[in-house]
Amino acid sequence: MTHVLEPELAVRLAGLTLRAKRTVDGLLAGMHRSPHRGASAIFKEHRAYRPGDDPRLIDWRAYARSDRYAIKHFEHETQLRGTLALDISRSMHWGSSDVSKLDHAATLLAALAYVLTRQGDAVSLITFDETVRDRVPPRSGAAHLDYLMRVLAQPSASEGKTSLHESLDKLIEHAGRMGLVVVASDLLDLEGAALEPIARLQARGHQTIVLHVLDPAELELPFEHPMRFEGLEGESPLEVDPEGIRRRYREAVDQFVASCQTRIVAAGARYMLARTDTPPEHTLLQLLRET
Amino acid sequence: MGFGLPWALAAMVAIGIPIAAHLLRRQKLPQQTLPTIAFLHRIHATRAARLRVVDWLLLVIRVLLVTALVLVAAAPYRVVHSSLLDRQHALAVVFDDSLSMAAIHEGKTLIERAAELSVEQINRLPEGSEASIVLAGKPPRVWVRRRSELDMIDHALGEIEARSTRAGALCEAVQSAVELLLESDLADRRLLVISDFTRGARADQCEWPSRGIRVGFEVVSTPNPDNRRIASVDVTAEPEPAEGLRLEVQIEGSSTTIPQKVRLRQRGQETQRAPVRWAGDRGEATLVIEAGLMDAVIELRLDPDDVLPADNVRGVLLGSDTIHVLLVDGDPHPDPRKRETAFLSHALSVAPLVGRSFAVEALDAQDLSESAIIRSDVVVLANAALEEKWLPLIQRFVSGGGSLWITAGDRINPRVYGSLLRDLLPGRYTATRMEERPLTFASSTLPELDQAKVRARTPIAEINLDAVVTARFSDGSPAMVEHRYRSGRVAMFATTIDDAWTDLPYQPVFVPFVLDTLGRLAGRTNHAIEPYEPVSLPGSTSTQRIQVVTPTGRTVDLAEADRVTFRDTGEIGAYRVLVNGVSGERFAFVVNAPSAESDLISQSPPQEQPGAEVSSADASQGSEQPLAPALLLLALALLFGELVLRQIRRR
Repeated sequence: MTHVLEPELAVRLAGLTLRAKRTVDGLLAGMHRSPHRGASAIFKEHRAYRPGDDPRLIDWRAYARSDRYAIKHFEHETQLRGTLALDISRSMHWGSSDVSKLDHAATLLAALAYVLTRQGDAVSLITFDETVRDRVPPRSGAAHLDYLMRVLAQPSASEGKTSLHESLDKLIEHAGRMGLVVVASDLLDLEGAALEPIARLQARGHQTIVLHVLDPAELELPFEHPMRFEGLEGESPLEVDPEGIRRRYREAVDQFVASCQTRIVAAGARYMLARTDTPPEHTLLQLLRET
Repeated sequence: MGFGLPWALAAMVAIGIPIAAHLLRRQKLPQQTLPTIAFLHRIHATRAARLRVVDWLLLVIRVLLVTALVLVAAAPYRVVHSSLLDRQHALAVVFDDSLSMAAIHEGKTLIERAAELSVEQINRLPEGSEASIVLAGKPPRVWVRRRSELDMIDHALGEIEARSTRAGALCEAVQSAVELLLESDLADRRLLVISDFTRGARADQCEWPSRGIRVGFEVVSTPNPDNRRIASVDVTAEPEPAEGLRLEVQIEGSSTTIPQKVRLRQRGQETQRAPVRWAGDRGEATLVIEAGLMDAVIELRLDPDDVLPADNVRGVLLGSDTIHVLLVDGDPHPDPRKRETAFLSHALSVAPLVGRSFAVEALDAQDLSESAIIRSDVVVLANAALEEKWLPLIQRFVSGGGSLWITAGDRINPRVYGSLLRDLLPGRYTATRMEERPLTFASSTLPELDQAKVRARTPIAEINLDAVVTARFSDGSPAMVEHRYRSGRVAMFATTIDDAWTDLPYQPVFVPFVLDTLGRLAGRTNHAIEPYEPVSLPGSTSTQRIQVVTPTGRTVDLAEADRVTFRDTGEIGAYRVLVNGVSGERFAFVVNAPSAESDLISQSPPQEQPGAEVSSADASQGSEQPLAPALLLLALALLFGELVLRQIRRR
């Protein structure tokens, strides 16, 4: 991974502004709206007073107009905490072309880190396979960005396989509350509960984006002749004539992708398929426009 | 089960090809890493077991396919053993009636025992079957041709002669029998060969049927194969011609303690006997025939008889090398020493000194007769004016194998010779020429002829295409021309054979010239034959009574024919020929037993003959069913199965 963030890509992404969809906690006031209600210059809404609310927050002017107790909500522009999670399991090191899935995922996360740092947000990073391998605490600033880039460019070596459930659990602890979490993984952990932590991330107020990084060869099985297929994470090898099972393989992979998407979306997170043959800027543009 | 082409089974090594391909394919599969292999496993789990089965089935099918194809190439057949009583079939019996089968055991010849065996086989045939019998003595004969009346076949078997003198012709008989079987509409065809399978049968040289005909063998042999025969007779002249001839008789076979004698028979009468002296497996006996008692042919018999009496007899031609020359003087000189016949006779008198034997008869032209001609090997017409009455005599003589030498002289009329004998002559005499300067001869075979001078000649022109110029004059024109006319030969000489036109008779080369010419023209024919070989005899039954006296004394009158052929040569021994009641020595001949037939030791039937469907003697109980069609169907089914499995594998 010689070029985590291509200079050209960095320039193109410089003009982009990431606005988090939801308010996040932040150490610094910024362009993002704070989830915390209270002292702020920007009025958000009124809501009915419920027993237990702080009586100091009652808007007496509104009471005078409507004869009902109402609480006044304000928005705070606050600093976003972005947590990037990179799957570095062995399967991510594979690619049918020069670009491995890990290269592609790291490029996407680096671009996001760059964007977030440019707008003053704090960015943290973890890499994981069966467990969390690297932890970069949330910081902002150019120096921190450089550090992030170095970790993305050269994550810890991994001999393990993907264990999403355990790694995402660790990510929940690392990510704190109400932030932006971007997970880049091939999600090749076919355990039924692998994606359950996504829901918990959402429950903790995070805006979670899952970049499902897959190689086109994984999606299409383009091989022609009988081959001896070998896995990367300890699976037993298999001799198969791809032509004979291509249709069923594609159905299975499509089903897997759809299942991942369904489960992730059901958990309230955002799902995006990131094919390694799609230029990263396209993926990022689509992601940022829809965010 | 058997194979028509067993060597094709060597191709069975090809079975290794699909196995090797299977193993190599597994070893040489390209490797490909794939992170999503779990999905392959998930899909494959449902079909992995099936694919494994399919792969193994494919391998098995391919091995079976190769095996089936190799087996088809090896022409397999299945022996179906069935009782003779339950299935109609065509049976051809090759019945060996050669001389060796005339060996006697317990009072019966092997031929009689073979006939009994044949009757048994024939009587076991189910109704509707057909049988043929081919006799395998030379020449082979179809004795019964595809008949289904068993009584008639039994009767025919009973008519086979119990004794035989024939040589073996087993292979030709087998060929005839196979042809008969192939003519049959019955699908079950069987060939039964009944023989002693001795060396003379030469069964190992036969071409046995390779498809569709079941071959069986029955060996009939004598447990006592001790046999003796007169192998050869050396005839030598005694030191003094008046003392006659010495016969050294060689006998082959196992020695015996029983005293053996060789008996000499002349004209059917025993005239001498001599004891046999044994040394190992060879015996000798010596006989001397006095000069006055010599005959053209004699007969020797080994006594007492052994298991095969027929080969104890041997005919011997005496003086058969003698060339009988008839000299016809057309212009007898007043001085007998100057006659052509005198010069020729003088030259021929030297012949014994050079190992040649001529019997010369000279007569004047007006005394020429058919009986004189018929006794001769060569007739020399020396300066003879041609008479028309001679024409049929000469033509018959030459056509029947005699030779004619015409020499020129002043009595030769070229026009008459040209008109009367044109077809017979190798060329045409032209007008006589007296040479101003003497010519000489030129001959590559007798260069000394160039020493002779020729003052006059009757040139020979219009030489036939088939004629050969054996001598020329020094000017290149032909001096001696010869050609073959039917069975005989005719030569023309362009000058005289006396000293009228040439000094040739005074030259030393005259003797070899005459001897070579007459010896070449005589062209001795074979007078010793095997039983049942035909003999051509010169002469004509239209004007002569020709009789043949067989070794047993039987006299056979020959029927009228242009060329007399005598075929009744089944008896072994000496045959004499009578022309108008007079013994014609030059026609005498002998029939001797084929030597290979005297070996009575049976060989094994040719069961190991490659390509032959052979079996033991009881093989006539079974029949072969070719398995190739069924195997071909199996191969097709396997091929179809492979295609199906390949499709299943792809799905």
